[in-house]
Parts: sequence; C-alpha cells; structure tokens
Amino acid sequence: MADDQKDLYYTKDLPVPETPPAGKEPAPWEKTNVIGKRKPRVDGYERVSGTAVYPSDVTLPRMLYGAVLRCPHPHAKVRKVDISAAEKLPGVRTVLTNDDPAARVKWRWAKGHEVLLFDPHCRFEGEAVAAVAADTPQQASDALHAIQVDYEILPFVVDERKALESGAAKVHSGGNQVKKDSYSRGDVAAGFAEASAVREREFRTEAELHTPLELHGCVANWDGDSLSIWESTQGVYAVQSKVAKTLGLPLSKVRVIGHYLGGGFGSKLEPGKYTVIAALLAKQVARPVKLFLSREETFLCVGNRPPANMKIKVGAKRDGTLTALEFVASGTGGAYPAGGTAILDWLVRDLYTCANVRCETTDIFINGGPARPFRAPGHPQCSWALEQIMDELAEELGMDPVELRLKNIPKVSQGRGGIPYTTTGLEECIRQGAEAFNWQQARQAAQQANQSGSHLKRGVGMGSCVWFVGGGGPPSTVIVKLFADGSVNLNMGASDIGTGTKTVMAMIVAEELGVKPEMIQIENADTGTTQYATPSGGSKTVPTEAPTVRLAAVEVKRQLLQMAAEELGVPVENLRFEGATIAAQGDADKSVKVTALEQLNKRGVAVGVGHRGPNPEKKSVNPFAAQFCEVEVNTKTGEIKVLRFVGTNESGRVMDRLTFDNQVFGGITMGIGLGMTEFRQFDTGQTGKLVNKNWHDYKLPTALDVPLQMTSLPIEMPDPEANNAGAKGLGEPVTIPTAGAIANAVYHATGVRITSSPLNPLQVMRSLTENRREEG
Amino acid sequence: MSKKTGEHDCACGKGLTRRGFLSTAGATTAMVAVGGRVNVNVAQAAATEITSEEMAKVTLEINGRPQRLLVEPRWTLLFVLRDRLGLTGTKVGCERGECGACTVLIDDRPQYACMTLAVEAAGRKITTLEGLMEGEQLGPTQEAFLEEDAFQCGYCTPGQIMAAEGLLRANPAPTAEEIATGMSGNLCRCGAYTHIFNAVKTAAEKNRS
Amino acid sequence: MLPGFNYTRPDTLKKAVKELKSGEDVLLHAGGTDLLGCLHDGVFPASKLVSVSALEALQGKKKLADGGLKIGALTTIRSVATDADIRNRYAALAQAAAEVASPQLREQGTLGGNLCQKPRCWYYRGQFPCLRKGGRKCFAFKGQNQFHCILGGSACYIVHPSDTAPALIALGADLQVTGPRGDRSLPVAELHVPPNEDPRRETFLEAGEIITAIKLPKPPAGLKSSYRKVRARQSWDFAVAGVALALVMDAGNIRHGRIVLSGAAPIPWRSEQAEKVLQGRPLNADTAAEAATAGMADARPLEHNEYKIALFKGLIEEELMNLAEN
Repeated sequence: MADDQKDLYYTKDLPVPETPPAGKEPAPWEKTNVIGKRKPRVDGYERVSGTAVYPSDVTLPRMLYGAVLRCPHPHAKVRKVDISAAEKLPGVRTVLTNDDPAARVKWRWAKGHEVLLFDPHCRFEGEAVAAVAADTPQQASDALHAIQVDYEILPFVVDERKALESGAAKVHSGGNQVKKDSYSRGDVAAGFAEASAVREREFRTEAELHTPLELHGCVANWDGDSLSIWESTQGVYAVQSKVAKTLGLPLSKVRVIGHYLGGGFGSKLEPGKYTVIAALLAKQVARPVKLFLSREETFLCVGNRPPANMKIKVGAKRDGTLTALEFVASGTGGAYPAGGTAILDWLVRDLYTCANVRCETTDIFINGGPARPFRAPGHPQCSWALEQIMDELAEELGMDPVELRLKNIPKVSQGRGGIPYTTTGLEECIRQGAEAFNWQQARQAAQQANQSGSHLKRGVGMGSCVWFVGGGGPPSTVIVKLFADGSVNLNMGASDIGTGTKTVMAMIVAEELGVKPEMIQIENADTGTTQYATPSGGSKTVPTEAPTVRLAAVEVKRQLLQMAAEELGVPVENLRFEGATIAAQGDADKSVKVTALEQLNKRGVAVGVGHRGPNPEKKSVNPFAAQFCEVEVNTKTGEIKVLRFVGTNESGRVMDRLTFDNQVFGGITMGIGLGMTEFRQFDTGQTGKLVNKNWHDYKLPTALDVPLQMTSLPIEMPDPEANNAGAKGLGEPVTIPTAGAIANAVYHATGVRITSSPLNPLQVMRSLTENRREEG
Repeated sequence: MSKKTGEHDCACGKGLTRRGFLSTAGATTAMVAVGGRVNVNVAQAAATEITSEEMAKVTLEINGRPQRLLVEPRWTLLFVLRDRLGLTGTKVGCERGECGACTVLIDDRPQYACMTLAVEAAGRKITTLEGLMEGEQLGPTQEAFLEEDAFQCGYCTPGQIMAAEGLLRANPAPTAEEIATGMSGNLCRCGAYTHIFNAVKTAAEKNRS
Repeated sequence: MLPGFNYTRPDTLKKAVKELKSGEDVLLHAGGTDLLGCLHDGVFPASKLVSVSALEALQGKKKLADGGLKIGALTTIRSVATDADIRNRYAALAQAAAEVASPQLREQGTLGGNLCQKPRCWYYRGQFPCLRKGGRKCFAFKGQNQFHCILGGSACYIVHPSDTAPALIALGADLQVTGPRGDRSLPVAELHVPPNEDPRRETFLEAGEIITAIKLPKPPAGLKSSYRKVRARQSWDFAVAGVALALVMDAGNIRHGRIVLSGAAPIPWRSEQAEKVLQGRPLNADTAAEAATAGMADARPLEHNEYKIALFKGLIEEELMNLAEN
C-alpha cells in the first residue's frame, strides 16, 4: 500500500527521542510533542457514547442471573438451610448451599483463616450463606427471599474500642487482638523533655466504604473445562490467580477479562466470594451466570477503610524544630485479618523531620465486613490527626502553620532508615501551594472578618503528605507491535481504573515512535491475551507501566534500525530513527521510510517487548502533596461551606495534564467525603447490624458539596532516577491531606477543634455547644 | 400463583418463557390523550388489571423509535433498557434513586429509570445516551464531556451526560450555581465534578454556536 | 429488586378509590419515588399497585376565585418549585420544593406523594422488625438515634421526612380528599398521625381515600414566608433540621406567624410556643432568640441527638432574621 496514503505520523521532521543502543536505558524526555500536554482520553469516545462494555453490561446468550443470600446477623451459625420453596419458584434454575459438595470449596480470607464458601460460621453481616441462579434478577431475588435459614445468633462485637475489654464477645476463639505493631527511633522521652512546647490529643476517623459506582460482580462462563470471567476488577491477574487456586484449576484454564470497570479505589484489587460463586453456579447450570451484588451488599462485604482511634503527641523547640512524635492507635479490619492498621503510622514515621519517634498500632477484630485497601490506606486517617496536632503546636509556638511545616522538611525517607528520596517536592508543594492560595493574606482576612460579629466564620487550613510508595516497580511486561503500515498495537495487562492509564501509555508510544495516538490500538486487562501486570492500585500503575511501555517502544525502534542498517548497508550506530523515516546521519541519500522496510513488510510486524526493570537501589521513590482550603462555618447551624481548595502535587513528570488535574480534584472530593459526610454506622449495643447500607444514609459528596473553586498546581520535578519516564504515582497523595486541612480550617474559623470525623452539622454543633458550655 | 405454560428457554420469541399473555378477551388498547401524553397499550377497558404472573403489552418510545415489549409490572424501565433492549449505555448504580447512574430523559426531563416502572413509561418520550448520538458521531454534550475530560472511570458518565442534556434543554444558559444544582442528582465517586461542570459549560456554548 | 405485584391504571377517580379500598396491601402509585423504594426494601407488602397517572382530575394548578391556589396532587415537585406564582406568593412552598431530594426525583415525585411519604428512619427502612411495621419495639429509642426526634416522640421516634408539609402547614393549606364516603377537606396540619395516637399509621387518610388537590388560601397582606433546611449534604438528604416560616407583618411587627419544623418530630411540628413569643412584637435579634429558645423548651433529646436543640435554636433564629431582612 502507498505509504503516504495514511498520514500516521505527526508531520515530517518532528524530532522523536533518540534510540539508545541495546542495554542502555533511554534518556529522559526533554522537549516533548505529546507527553505533558492536555490530551483527551483515547477511550473517551467509548465512555461517552455508551459503547464501552463494562463487565456489568456483558450479556451472553442463555445467560442467567445469580444472587447471593447473606447472613443478616453480625455473628451467627447456620443450623439449617431449607431451599425447597425457593427451588420451585418460576425461573429458578439452581440453588447452591453448603449442603452441595460442589459448593464446599475453601475460601482463604487470610493466612490461617480459611473458611468454606458458604461457611456455617458467619462472622459478619453479609457473609455468604447460599446462592441462586434464575432467568431474571427479579426471580433470583424472589428465590433468595424464599430460602429459609435457621440461625443460631451469637454474641457480637462491632466497636473495636470495646472489643479488647474483658467480657467482650469473641470474634475468633483466640481473642480479638489481631496484632500489635511497634516502631521507634531515637528516644521520645528525651525528645519531649527537651521540647519547649508539647501538644497531645486523641482523634478518631470513622470507617469509610468504597462504594464505586459500578457494582462488584462478574459474568462467569464455562467452555468445557475452561472458565471465562468478565469481572469489574482492578487486576485481572489477581482474580485469575485466586480463582484458579480456589477452584484447583490451571491458570491457563481461567481467563479473566476486565477492559473497563466503574471504579474500585482498592475494593476491586482482588476477587470476592461472588466470583467463585458465579463460576460454580455457571458450572451447575451449564450456562453463563451474571452475578452482580446489589448496592446494599456493597456496604457490607466488599471492603472498607478501617476506622482509626489515634492518640498523638508532638514536641518541638521554640523555633519549631520537632523533637518528638508519639502515635498510639488502633483500628479494625473486620472479622478477618485485613489490615486494620495497615500503614496507619507511616506519616508520623516519615513526613516531618523528627529524630525521636515512637508508634504503636493495635489491629482488632470485630464482627464486621473485612477491610480492603482504600485509596492511600492508613494515610488520610493519620493525616487527620497529624496535621491537626501540628496546627495546635504551631498555635502554641505562635508560628504560622505553613512555617512550622517548612521547618521540618526531610530530604530522606526517615521511615526507611534515612535512605534518600530520588526527589522530594514536599517543600515546593507547601511553599508554592501557600503562594498560589494567597495563604498569609487569606489567613489575616479571615481573622479580620471574624471580628465583625457575624455568626458566619471564615477559616483557612492546610496539610501535606507523602505517600508510602508511588514508585511502582516490577513485574510488568508490555508488548508494542508495529504493523507494516506504521500503525501500532499496544498490549498490556494493566487495568485503566479511571486514571487514564491507556491514554498515558498511548502518549508514550506516540512520543517514542512519532505515531499519532489515534493510530494506536490498545489491548489491555485480559489474562488470555495481554501481558502480565499487577493490579492497578497503590499509585503504581504509571511508574510501573510507563517505563515498560517506553522500553517496548524503544525495542521496536531498535529492530527497525537493525532492518534499515541491513537494507541501507549502513552501520546501526550511524542511523537515526526519525518517526516516519530512518536516515543515516550526514547522508541524506541513505534513508528509508519505515513502512518501506522490506523486512517489516515481509514479517508483517515489528514486535518490541518491554520488561519493567528494578527501581533504584538504596533510594526511595515517593510522591508528595499539599492542600490548602478555605471554609465558612455557620456557627448557628454547624453547616460548613468549603469555599476553595488548592492542591499541589509533586509526582515527577506530568504525563497528561488533563487527567492529572482530574485526579487532584477527584482526590479532594473523596477527602471531603471522609472529612465531612461519610461514616459507617453499626447498630452498636442492639443488633450490631449496619444501619446505613444505602447511598442516602451513607453519604457521598454530591456536586453541591464541592467548592466551585478548585485549583490544581503540579510541581514538576524531573526525576531521572525513578524510571525512564520520570513519573511517580498520583492517585493516592491527592486524597491524603484533604480532611485534615478542612479540620484545621474549621478550627481557624471557630476556635473549636473537632477531633472526630465527619465534620457534619451534628458533629459541629456538638463541639460548638460543648465549647460554649466550657466557656461558661 | 404461577401458571406453568411449559419450559422454553430459547430466545425464539415463541411462548415467551412461562408466562401467559394478558388474557383480555375483546380488550382493545385504548389510545387516550391524557394531559398531552398518549396512553397506549396498557389495557384500559375490559381487563383493568395485570397480575404479577402476567406480562403487560407496552410500546415504549425510545430514542424516537417505538419498541413493543412484554413486561412484568414490576420491571423497571432500567431493566427493560439494559436487559431486554440491549441499551447498556444507561447504567445501574443502586436501583433506589440515590445515585443517578440510570438517568434518562423522559419527555426531555431527567429522571431515574430505576424508579420508573416500564408500564408507567408507556406513551412518553424516552431518550437514552444512545439517543444523543448522531449516527456514530457524538452529540455536542457528549463531545463536551470528552474534551473536558469530564469522567474518570466513566461509569456515572452516561447519567451525568443525560442530566446535563436535560438541564440544557430546559435552561440553555445556566449559571455556575445552576449547573452544580442541575448535576446534583448524579454521584461521581471518582470526584470528576469539577471537570463535569466545565463540560456542561462547554456544552452550553457548543449548543449556542 | 422489586417483589411481584399486580398493576392497574384506572381511568376514573371512582375506580381508583374502589381499588384502593379493596385491600390493605393495595397501594397507590403516583410518582413512585417513595413507594418503589419501600417495596425494594421490603418495608411492607404490596399485592397490587394502583396507578393514578391517568387521572386528569389530579393534574394542574388553578388560581381560585378567592385569590387562593389549587394544586393538583399529581403536580410534580419541580413544577411546584419553579412556578412563578408559587415562588411569588407562597415562597415557603417553592423553597421547600426546590430542596426536595434531587433534580431527577423532583421531576418524578408529586406534591401529594411528598405529603404521604413513609418515614426514613433507618430501622424502619432496614431489616428491623420495628414497632411501626407491626413489631414490638422501637429500635431508635435506645439505638442510633442521632437523626431522630426531639419533640413529640412517643412509642416511635421518627422525624417526619417531608419538606413541603411544614411549608404548607405554615401557609395554612388544606387538602382535598376523595374516598369511599365522598369528598372532604382536611387541613394539612391534621393529616399526619402523631405516634402517641397510633405509631403504625402515618396519615389520617381512610382506606381508599386519595388526596386530589392541595388548596392554599389567598396570602394575607404582609405575608413573608420561607423554608430553610439544614442537612449533611446539599442534595438528596432529608432535613437534619428544617423550618418553615410564615409571618404576617404589620409595620415591622409580627401580627401573627406560623413556625413549623421538619426534622424535629414524627409529624411536622407547629412550634406554638415560639409563635406566641413573636405575636404582636417586632422581629429583631432578641425576639428571634427568644422565640427560638421557646420553641425548644419542651425538647426531649435522645441519647445521640441533643445537638438538635442548639441546632434548631440557631436555625430558627437565623431564618427569622433572614426573613426580617428580606
């Protein structure tokens, strides 16, 4: 075909990055054509047209609908399950219970905690008891209602603050403490002794539920002994491995497809019992089964951010230098070991410079749904406490809160024994953020306005953070395939969970090969056809996949250069890949169009494979952030209006500015949820059941709960050591300091420090009233 | 009580599962204009009731085309759109009117398809996300969402777009506050609200030019 | 998922009444936004739904000869919120309607339905066999009652969820009802059943009765009205605390007024003590504070909702002053 027929390249003569020789990493991009720009998503059309097929949209011929019957008690034993009425209902094709040998597979909650799929011992409300498959979801629901279960109701505990008291109900026979972790460096006693100012306070954040918009679930289908699963998941390979292990199947017999998913935030990093149940139902009826949880179920049994009970103490010298930090906290991951205190103390260990630190965290069982990682596990909770106690300290020292943070900026990762960061933008995030926010003036203006006697008070607050990881790392494999006409296929295992992964990766290929992003066909998230990737989460997808994609693209270029060398009779070292053409340096006659390469046309493709290499040794790769907000508090009604937010982020290179900003605004919105509207409420003291299992009573921020004025200010710092893309993760640092910043602003506005989330009118009125009482 | 008319689980269209037809000997489908809406097909005269075991004959006008269906009284418009008509652009988020993922336009007004019984939607003009397309081309509101990166995971997006479309059809030049209010019936857990507001503003501008 | 039910859509009011009288679990479907949610949650059974959407008699708004306004029960909440006449002459009602639920639910929900909606107590709506549903105890009384009532509680401790009801009561509205025994008129203030009379019933409508219209009297000269709602989120949420005000002003003094609270009691709560404080007096910061305090004098908080007392005091004060300034 004519090679100028398709204008696949940008334009002629636009420089593409130099191709390094084999064994050498490509140099950091300098001036870029695509990367760093504001690029709409390459799969945006599919999403806004409705043609994107999410797993819950998948429909197969003869498909049935599955549903799970769940234990309505926080702690119970199933004595008897009577399915006789359910089986007879119209449309019901099968009912599975623990009485069916086929259903007695082992489900591993955690090491040392294996139960049956429909285990008779239910340790939380929402545990699976039985399952049905029917012609319609309504008939499946009817069937669930017709199943009669005899439960022996057992004593329960749903408040981790009571679970270690003597006489508390036992979740497991071994007692309710999961584990206790300790950390220390230096000598905190000495540190407090030398301090000029010491502040100490208790804080609490409530449990938070992920509830992404797309329900959890899958479609399962057998072809003979091969199982295919379309699952709403952040990691197809994670689903594949757990399902294969649980069902005793070879990996090659389990294919998991997850091209799109409607959100996860950590709750879809692994499959659920529902995945295995769907597979078993499908096997039983020899038809595909679609099993998606109801919204109510997603509040019970697919994870949560643990609540945190924190006592924090900080000491500093007169000039603001921290001398000691002590952090004692507890949390719960529910009825099974699930990270109830995971990474809860990291910010205390690592964020602000302090030689003397002691942390102790206790993870406790309750009869509640097991936790799952939730966007920056442990960090927003710790930030709520740390940023507020830092502000208290600043007030006692008579220091500006921003100045106090700037006084304690570490250049090394203290929590890792002091190894240096490859880059740290913490200081710049705070400094530039404060400037962009007009911090000092806004602070003064608020204080002045509050003298007017109005019951509407203004305040400003801030917080900063580091995220525990964010540098990505192996393993990952990516294949870039150049077709003979110069268009490209990109094959990678990573899911795009909404962060714009596919777009960023397409931009990298486009940058390296000089190909228009629209000419790149992307295959992703399919264990049958795409390369291996770990689940998308932990802010690791860009730093993991981006350099790998780049290596694959570079490998394609090397092959093309090799082909050209042979065809032109020129040594490879003298050739330059220029996108559409390959030319000899200093000899314009010796050039060839890529699409004219004989070998390429013969082979049909040039395939480059990239493997993610290791991260730099003895260095830590982490992203940083700071956020600033202004609020107005109505002291008569407790209503808080968030007026504006500025979010600064240092995540190395900005890959796509459009999706970058979207993440920042999204993270702030989620932080507003933790800080102001969300809480999980058990019926403590009566039934122990969850009372708010719907989206009215469990409150996510709406369009009217976010400030109209939000600014994203990236702090771009080149980080050539982190990886060849120079990019660090972003998805989690954006939501860490939000709630604490709001709490600080509320204090600034009212003079009242509210230590328990969420800052809703209930909490604010309680605190204001108590404060008025104390003041007499 | 259910009447078994014989198992039949292929999609050949005959027999239609185990349910009998609405047995309304002599019933004509009354075409009655009520307050501007044409009430069709829900039998008015002879049989005044459809039992839970029967199927109602309804014609739903969806994206300008009449779709003739048999529906259970309890089937929501959302279920019919997705699971009977294959229009999976409209999404399911909660089935209780608390998230907006299932927003469609009914007579140009945004409503939740999950809270609308299919039998109640007869005779009304229903527009789904697919109905905003112009062939394979995106409509202006959809384009605006794409340009402004007004989504992340994209799952709430169809509902957001329909809410935006409904807002702009009623109010072509909304203020920033009116946009936020107009979009306040659509949750976005990814928190793309800021870009969504930009998209609605851009869509309004596109419509004006 | 919804359970199975029969469905009928009568073409006359008479037929609708007959249907609804035929059984306790034969239920009226207007907008459906509350009914379907209740059926989804299994709060009560439904053997048959009777749709009133074909009944023209329940549609439309009409200005009356005496200067009042008649609003058909099937009028959507959005239509009430945006109606120029209602916004002008019955501001409290328009403001209340504008804050109901979400934009989509306002398009579908009706004024009649908003008045008859079921409680939103999370025990009532959840899998708890509570008193109102025929069980033996109120789970809120000793339970998670942070959103429950501080006034009027007895046996059952819900708060009434309607925003339009307090506004209509403040404005002195009546209901037109038709039923098996014919037509009757009923003040909105007498629609809702206090739990000490019967904790299992929400309205005094008899079996088979249908609200056909809401009638508002001609606004007296000098009427100022408003509705203000405090909640955790600015959309969807029912009131944590709300107040409807209707004050008849006469040269800076309050001739008489109505103060009706939402989120305070199991029924919309006329705050008569607060009203007495204001009668015949000027409206200023002091009288507003006095009225607000009086309004809370009889408040009996539960374990987790004492904050509501200060909240209502602040809310009533603030809204009275807002009304004074506008």
